[in-house]
Amino acid sequence: MSKDMSCNPEGGCACSGKKAEAAPVESVSSRRNFLKSASMLSVNSLLGTAALMTMSDDARANTEWAEWFQGNYRLMSDEEKALARGRLERRYSREYAKTVIVDGTPAQEGVLMGYALNIKKCIGCRRCAKACVEENNQSRGKDQDMEWIRVLKMEKGEFSKEKMNQGYPEGLGIQVGGNAYSPAGVVLEGEHYYQADAVPEKDSVYMPIACMQCEKPPCVKVCPVRTTYREADGPVVIDYNWCIGCRMCMSACPYWARRFNWSDPNLPKEAMNPVTHYLGNRPRMKGVVEKCTFCIQRTRKGRYPACVEVCPVGARKFGNLLDPESEVSRIIARKHVFRLKAEQNTFPKFFYFMD
Amino acid sequence: MKNNVFLPTFFLLWCAGWTSALADEVKCFESRKGASEVTQRMIGENLPNVKCSPKTGAVLWWGDPFDGTVPMGDMPIADADYTRGKALVKPRSDKVGLLPLCGNTCHTGVLPSGFPQNKDSRQLIMMHQAIVLDATKLPHGRSAIWCLDCHHPKERNKLVDHRDNPISFDQPQKLCGKCHGEVYRDWREGIHGKRIGEWASTGTKRWFVCTECHNPHNVQHGERNRGIAQHQPEVAPALPKGMKTADHERRHHDSARH
Ligand code: SF4
Ligand code: SF4
Repeated sequence: MSKDMSCNPEGGCACSGKKAEAAPVESVSSRRNFLKSASMLSVNSLLGTAALMTMSDDARANTEWAEWFQGNYRLMSDEEKALARGRLERRYSREYAKTVIVDGTPAQEGVLMGYALNIKKCIGCRRCAKACVEENNQSRGKDQDMEWIRVLKMEKGEFSKEKMNQGYPEGLGIQVGGNAYSPAGVVLEGEHYYQADAVPEKDSVYMPIACMQCEKPPCVKVCPVRTTYREADGPVVIDYNWCIGCRMCMSACPYWARRFNWSDPNLPKEAMNPVTHYLGNRPRMKGVVEKCTFCIQRTRKGRYPACVEVCPVGARKFGNLLDPESEVSRIIARKHVFRLKAEQNTFPKFFYFMD
Repeated sequence: MKNNVFLPTFFLLWCAGWTSALADEVKCFESRKGASEVTQRMIGENLPNVKCSPKTGAVLWWGDPFDGTVPMGDMPIADADYTRGKALVKPRSDKVGLLPLCGNTCHTGVLPSGFPQNKDSRQLIMMHQAIVLDATKLPHGRSAIWCLDCHHPKERNKLVDHRDNPISFDQPQKLCGKCHGEVYRDWREGIHGKRIGEWASTGTKRWFVCTECHNPHNVQHGERNRGIAQHQPEVAPALPKGMKTADHERRHHDSARH
């Protein structure tokens, strides 16, 4: 057996007699070691494919092969995490033609992120939803228009004697919407797609909804590969690389907070926000789920989430639930507060409040 | 001869260059149309100072939340966190842009003779009608107040509280809080109003002051008749693929039967 045909611990098998050029030697995870010993041949053929694929301009083909074999982010050592982020930084910088930062700032001691929204103040302008897209690198355009925040328009109403018997669709024998106001709408009693020249419209209230960052998140419970999990400072995050796209979390979430990349996201180079976090707004790929992370790339650095800053009526408030002096803590102490679908025992960290 | 040709050409070029520079400038409003505006520019590599909505012209994203701000200054209330010197505001007093005419009278502190010196409300006849058409029917306080209840009768570049203390245009909350005490308290606590910057309770924040979001000359604006003027909304999210209209959202059980 010649030296060329042997396997060595660093470079893998060189059965073809030549070491594959494109092989970076940085990631040495236990998973890779396992793969090495178990199926050297197939790894080697993948190396060749990766070398071919890096020639192409296609964003997905440019994915460095090591990305395919990296571990679950939560289980990686600090060095492995740094390597994974470095890989992504190189790839994104190439793809988006600018210096992209993929940050990995971990949770801070003594912080539990919480959110409050004044439902009486919201005027339904949707600036929060658009600011979120500017910040979080969602796909945009006609084919795949992704927004994490949805603003629902609802009718204003009150209980009254005249409406006693409304809300009972004839022939069904069940009550939909009850006596609350005019008969309930068919689906959500709310409009996502309202069009208006000026908001707020008469007799309308608006209710923005995004991920509630549940303390007991059903989405986390169902994820078969444990790639979505709750971080120590509160936000529920996703390691997009480990997501298999089964969409179990989407059906488990009671708040319709998660979105799926059905096709390759359309993120124009010039619009891409280059300041990203591994668990936050870094560009996603086809076939993975994404959602609000309380702007983890900003909030871990101390900055308000983008939607808080943009709201023209100051309806959105963010802060540390463990700090009694924070804006959210003061709101919870002083205002009428409710959580959406609290009866589901999800313990959301998103509080709606009223003056 | 040569000079005669050169000069007009130079001016033409200069003017053309100037106007095209103006045309390139993108201005967006921050919170409310008609209040503070910013001009888009780059403040770092790949970092614009603001990103603006192509539909409404509103700022959607701040690259630097503290751009163009100054410390809020003295505040006489002890329990609010701006006493820690981390509160910033965007100054407006220097923008009380005055035509030369204004600087010769009134706004110098010298009122022309025959000018009424009392605070009684009266029609405005020469000035400021663009702001308030009928000063006796101000759509704020349901006509119970008028210009000089908030604007200093003598120091015309200042506001005034009900004890005749002059107040800077940078701190209108000191004036507004005299009537809207409850809201003022919430604002100090950070429950009411808008701030950008750092979320920590000890962090540096830019505080938006009252008039950056509310139009003091017309708070009864619009159909809802509340403190906030109506805004043009951003575009609706795209309909799911294959869905033609969103009519299903607008149907009640009643009308579905028809
Ligand atoms: S709102 Fe939905 S996506 Fe967000 S944590 Fe709760 S269950 Fe998960
Ligand atoms: S930006 Fe504020 S007012 Fe506008 S829709 Fe969002 S929460 Fe409501």
